[in-house]
Amino acid sequence: MSELVILSKAMIRERKDIVLSIIGGFIAGIAGVALFSASGYLISQTVFAPPLYTLIVLASLVKLLGLLRAASRYGERLFSHRATFSMLSRLRTSFFAKLIPLTPGIWNKNRSGDLLARIVGDVEGLQHYFLRVAYPPVIVVMVFLATMLFTAFFSFWIACIFVLGMLGTAWVVPGIVMLGQRKKHERIREQRALLSTDVTEMLYGFRDLKVYGQLAERERQLQQASAALAAEQQRAAGHLLRGQSMHAFVTLLVSWGVLALGAYLIMDGALAGVFLAMLVMASLTVFEEAAAMATLPAYKQDSEHAAKRLTETVLATPAQSLHSSCKLWADQAVSIELSGVTFQYEGEWRPALNDISLQISSGSKTAIVGPSGSGKSTLIELLLKLRTPSAGDVRLNGISAKELDETGIWETANVVLQQSHFFRGTIRDNLLLNGEEYADGKLVDVLSKVQLPTKSLTDAVYEKGENLSDGEKQRLALARAMLRKGRLWLLDEPTSSLDCVTEQRVLKQLYEQAAGDTLLLICHRLAGLEEMDRIVVMEQGRVVETGSYSELMEQKGYFYKMKQIELQMIGEASA
Amino acid sequence: MKRKTSLIAKQLSAQRKRLVFLAVISLALGAAIVSQAALLAEAVQRLFVESASFSSVAMLLGILLCVMAVRTLLSYGNGKVGLHMAAAAKTNMRAAVLQNMTHASMPSALCGQTGGKVSIALDAVDEADGYFSQYMPRMAEAAVIPIMILAVTFVQHANSALIMLFTAPFIPLFMILAGLKTKNKAEEKYAQLADFSGTFLDSLQGLVTLKLFGRARRQQQEIERSSLGYRDATMAILRIAFTNTFMLESIVMLSIGIVALELAIQLLVFKSMTFHTAFLVLLLVPEFYSLLKNSGTAFHSGRTSMGAIRKVENMLAETIGAAQPDEFMASQTKLLPMPPSIELDNVTFRYAPDSFELKAGRISVKPGEHIAIVGASGSGKTTLLHLIAGLLKPASGTIRVNGTPLSQQYESLWFERVSYITQHPYIFAGTFAENIAIGARRNVTRAEIEQAAEEAGLAEVAAQLEQGFDTYVGEGGRGLSGGEKQRLALARAFLKRPAVILFDEPTVGLDLHTERVLQRAIAALAKTATMITVAHRLYTIRHADNIWFMEHGALAASGRHDELMESLPQYAEMVDVQRKGGLA
Repeated sequence: MSELVILSKAMIRERKDIVLSIIGGFIAGIAGVALFSASGYLISQTVFAPPLYTLIVLASLVKLLGLLRAASRYGERLFSHRATFSMLSRLRTSFFAKLIPLTPGIWNKNRSGDLLARIVGDVEGLQHYFLRVAYPPVIVVMVFLATMLFTAFFSFWIACIFVLGMLGTAWVVPGIVMLGQRKKHERIREQRALLSTDVTEMLYGFRDLKVYGQLAERERQLQQASAALAAEQQRAAGHLLRGQSMHAFVTLLVSWGVLALGAYLIMDGALAGVFLAMLVMASLTVFEEAAAMATLPAYKQDSEHAAKRLTETVLATPAQSLHSSCKLWADQAVSIELSGVTFQYEGEWRPALNDISLQISSGSKTAIVGPSGSGKSTLIELLLKLRTPSAGDVRLNGISAKELDETGIWETANVVLQQSHFFRGTIRDNLLLNGEEYADGKLVDVLSKVQLPTKSLTDAVYEKGENLSDGEKQRLALARAMLRKGRLWLLDEPTSSLDCVTEQRVLKQLYEQAAGDTLLLICHRLAGLEEMDRIVVMEQGRVVETGSYSELMEQKGYFYKMKQIELQMIGEASA
Repeated sequence: MKRKTSLIAKQLSAQRKRLVFLAVISLALGAAIVSQAALLAEAVQRLFVESASFSSVAMLLGILLCVMAVRTLLSYGNGKVGLHMAAAAKTNMRAAVLQNMTHASMPSALCGQTGGKVSIALDAVDEADGYFSQYMPRMAEAAVIPIMILAVTFVQHANSALIMLFTAPFIPLFMILAGLKTKNKAEEKYAQLADFSGTFLDSLQGLVTLKLFGRARRQQQEIERSSLGYRDATMAILRIAFTNTFMLESIVMLSIGIVALELAIQLLVFKSMTFHTAFLVLLLVPEFYSLLKNSGTAFHSGRTSMGAIRKVENMLAETIGAAQPDEFMASQTKLLPMPPSIELDNVTFRYAPDSFELKAGRISVKPGEHIAIVGASGSGKTTLLHLIAGLLKPASGTIRVNGTPLSQQYESLWFERVSYITQHPYIFAGTFAENIAIGARRNVTRAEIEQAAEEAGLAEVAAQLEQGFDTYVGEGGRGLSGGEKQRLALARAFLKRPAVILFDEPTVGLDLHTERVLQRAIAALAKTATMITVAHRLYTIRHADNIWFMEHGALAASGRHDELMESLPQYAEMVDVQRKGGLA
C-alpha cells in the first residue's frame, strides 16, 4: 500500500470537499432507507385504520425524504468530482516535480517513447482511486451503521442480520473477487502488451514482411494472440460478473433473512407485526448503497497498478546530481576534457561510448563527424550532465562534471539538440523560453539571421511544433540558442534538414556570434569543415581520428575516405 | 433511435441465437422478479395481517429462497451471454482489422499514423466490449421486464400502473436531455479541455528542453494552473449532467411517493384493496424504476461503444478493396525464365487526389540488366520502385514481368524471386539468426545463415558477441548501428539469392566498412539478377546499364551516364553540384 502514499497526501489536501461529499452521500443513503421504510410502515399502519393525519404526516415525510435524497446526492456528486479533479491536478504537479531531476536518465531503460503517454495515463488512472475505491466503503459503512442502530430499536437479532450482510457485501464478496483477480489482470495486461507490440511491429516492418512473404504467417500469429486476449478478457469479466451476482444474492439473502427471522420473532411475540414490512423494505434499499462495492475490486486493482508503476518509474531511476556545489562561470569560454569516458545504455549489449579521451581547448571550434550510431549525440548529453558516464571523467574548465552544478552548465551552454521541443504558443513564447525579456526588434533580427524572415513573432506554434517543417524547427531552435549568452555552443546536427545554401548562411551568422566561444558541432555533411579548428572522427563509440581538415585530408585515413564517398553522392544529399 | 452501423448489424446477425437467448432469459428473469415480490408480499400478509403460524409460512419462505436463487442465476446468465457475445464480436472485429492491415496495399501501410492504427486494433475494439456485454443484456431486460411489471400492476391495481405509465417516459426523456446538453457543453468547451489536458504531456515531452532553459520549475505552476482550469471546465459540464440526474431522481422518488400515498388512501379511505396487493405494488415500483434507470446508464455506455465501433468501421471502409487474398497459384512457368524482363506500360500513380502524379511512360528492363534511377528528392524515385516491386498498385497502366501482367495472383510467386533492400531495413524483435532467416521462405540451416552473414560482413559483429547469432536484437534493431542494419538486410538477400533486386541506396550515415561491403555484396548479388537501384552514388550510376532520370514525377530521360552528361544539362548539373561540395 505504500504506493498510494502520494495519493493519500493529495486526498488530505482536499479534505473539505471530501468531508462534504461523504456527508452528502451519507444523507442520501439514509434518506433512501428512511423513505422506503416509511412507505412500508405507512402501508402497514393503514391496516389499523389510523386517523387520517398520521397518514398525511407520513406521506409528506416520504416526499420530503425523496427530495432530500435527490438533493444530497447532487451535492455528493458535485463535491466528490471536484475533489477528484483537484487531486488530479496535485498529482500531476507533484509527479512533474519528481520527474524533473530524473530526466533524461529515465529514458535510459525505456526508449520506446510511449513511456510518457503511459505516465500521463497512469496519473489519470489514479483519479478513480478516490471516487471508486477509497470513498464508497466509507459511505456504505456509515449508512449500514445508521440503519443497524435504527433496526436495533425494533429487534437486536435483525440488526445482527444487517451486520452480517454488511460484512458480506463490503468485505467477504469483494475479498473473494480480489482473489485470483490479480493474476487474471496481469495475464490480460501481458497479452495486450504483446498484441500491441506485435501489431506495431507488423506495421513498421510491413514492407519487409510483404517482400519476404511473411505476412500470412504474421497474420496468423496476430489472430491467435487476439483470440487469446479476448478469451482472457472474457475470463476476467466472468470472474467479476460472478462477484456481482454473489453480491446480488447476498443482498437478497439478507432480505430473506429479515423476513424469516421477523416471522419467527413475531410468533415469539418479540416483534410487532406492523414493523415487518418496514424492515423488509429497509433491507431491500440499504444494499443499493453497497452496489458500488461490487465494482470496487477492479478499480482498486487498476489504481494500485498505476500507482505501483509510477512509483517504480520514479524510484528506480536514481536522481543524477546530489552534491554539486561548484558553479561553471558563464563569462569565460569553456574548455572540455574527457578522460577514459565510457557510457552504456541500460539493456544494450555494447557501450555507446567506449573509452573516449579528448581535449577541447577554450575558444576552439570542433566538429564531430561519424556514421549514425557512433555515439556523437551521447557525447553532448554527457557534457550537459544529462547523463552520467559509466566510467571515466568529464571536466569542464578543469572541474569534474560530478562536482559541477548542472543548472550552471545549462546556463553556460547554448544548445541545439537533434530533436528540439516546441511548446504550444507563439513563436515569441518559444523564443523567450529562458524567461529573459528581449525587445521585439531583437527577436525579429534573430529570426532573419536564421533565415526565417517571413515568420512573425505572433505566429502560432502547435503542440510539439506540428505546424512547422523540420527545417523551420531547426532554424527556430538555432534562433533560440542564439538569444542566449552562454560561451559554450553544443550543436547536434542543427542544420541537417536545410539545403546547402541556407545552411551556409545560417552557420555564417552563428560563427560570427560565437567568435571566441567554445563550439562543438556534430554534423552529418562533410562540407564546410575547412573552417573548423579541429575535426573529431568517431566510429562505434570510439575516436578514430582527429585533426584539422587539411591534416585529415593529407593523412588519407577514415575522414578522407568518408569525404570521397560523399563526393560521389548524388541527388538526395544535396536537397 | 439512431442509425445502427452496419458493422454492429453484422456482428449482431452473426449472434442471432444468443440474442434469442437474451430475450428468453429476460422473460424468465421478469417472472422471477414478479414472483419474488408476490411471495414476499404474501409472506408479510400472512404473518402480519393474518397472524398465521410459522410452519404455515415455512413452505412459502422456502419457495421464496429458491426464487431468489433463480433470479440471481438468471441475471448471471444474461451477463454471461453478454460476455460471450462481446468476446465473439471483439475477436471477429479485430480479425477483420488485422486482416485488413496485413492485406493492405502500401499507401495505407506507409502513410504513417501507426499509433492510431494500433489504437484502433486494440483500444477501439476493446471499447466496443460495452455494447455487447452491457448494453445488449440491459436493453433486453429493459424491453421485457418493465412491461411485465406494468402488466402485473395493472391487474393488481390499475391506478398505480397508470401513475407508473405516466411517469416512466420522463426517465428516458431526462436521460436523453442530459446526454444532449452535456454533449453540447462538452463540444463548446472542447478546445479548452484539449488544451488543458495536453499541457501535461506537452511538458513531459519537452522536459529536457525546459531543463536546459531553466524553465522546469515555472512549468510546474503552468501545469497546476491548467489542471485547475481543466477541473473547472469539466465541472461546468458535469454540473449540467448532475442537475439532470437530480431532476430524474426527484421524479422517481416523487413517483414512488405518489404511488405509496395512493395505495394508503385506497387502503384507508376506500378500503377497496387488501394489504397484500398494496405491499406487492410497493415492492414492484422500485424494481420498475431502477430497471429503467439502469437501461439509461447502459444506453450511455452503449453510445461510447458505438463511437468506438464506428472508428473501426471507418478504418475498414477506408482501405476497402485492398484485401483480396491470393485466389489461386498460377503455374510457375509464367514468370520464368529468371532473371526476368520487366516492362512498364504507361503506369501512373498518385497517393491522394490532390498529391502529385507519377507518370512512368513506357520503359522496359531486359533480363539481367542493371538500372539506376536518379533524380532530386521528391521526384518520385522511391514511388516508382514501390510500383515495380508490386507494393503499390498503379492507378492505370500495367507492369509486365516476362510479358505477364504483375497481378494479385502472382504476388507470392513474384515475391519469392524479389529482394527489396530499403534505406531503413526493419529489424524484428528476435535474434540475429531469426532476422536473417526471414529472407528465405524455406527452412534454412544454421550453416546457410552463417554463410549469408559472412558474405554480408556481419560475421565479425556476431563474433564479438557472447551469444553470437543468438543475440537478441530488440524491436526496430535497438542497439544496432545504421550500417549493421544495412548489412543485415544484405544477409537476408544473400540467403534468398533473388532473381530481381530492388535497392534503395542509403544516402548518408554509413560507416566505411559497410560502404565497402555494400559495393562488393551488391555486385555479387547482381551477377545473376535484374537490378533496379534508386542510386545516390556516382559509382553505382556509372556501372548501370541504363539510367532513368526522374523529374517532377515523370521519366525525363534515360541512357548511359556519359550520354546523359552530354545531352541533359539538368543531369550534369546535379552530378556536378555535389562534386564541388555544395557551395563551400
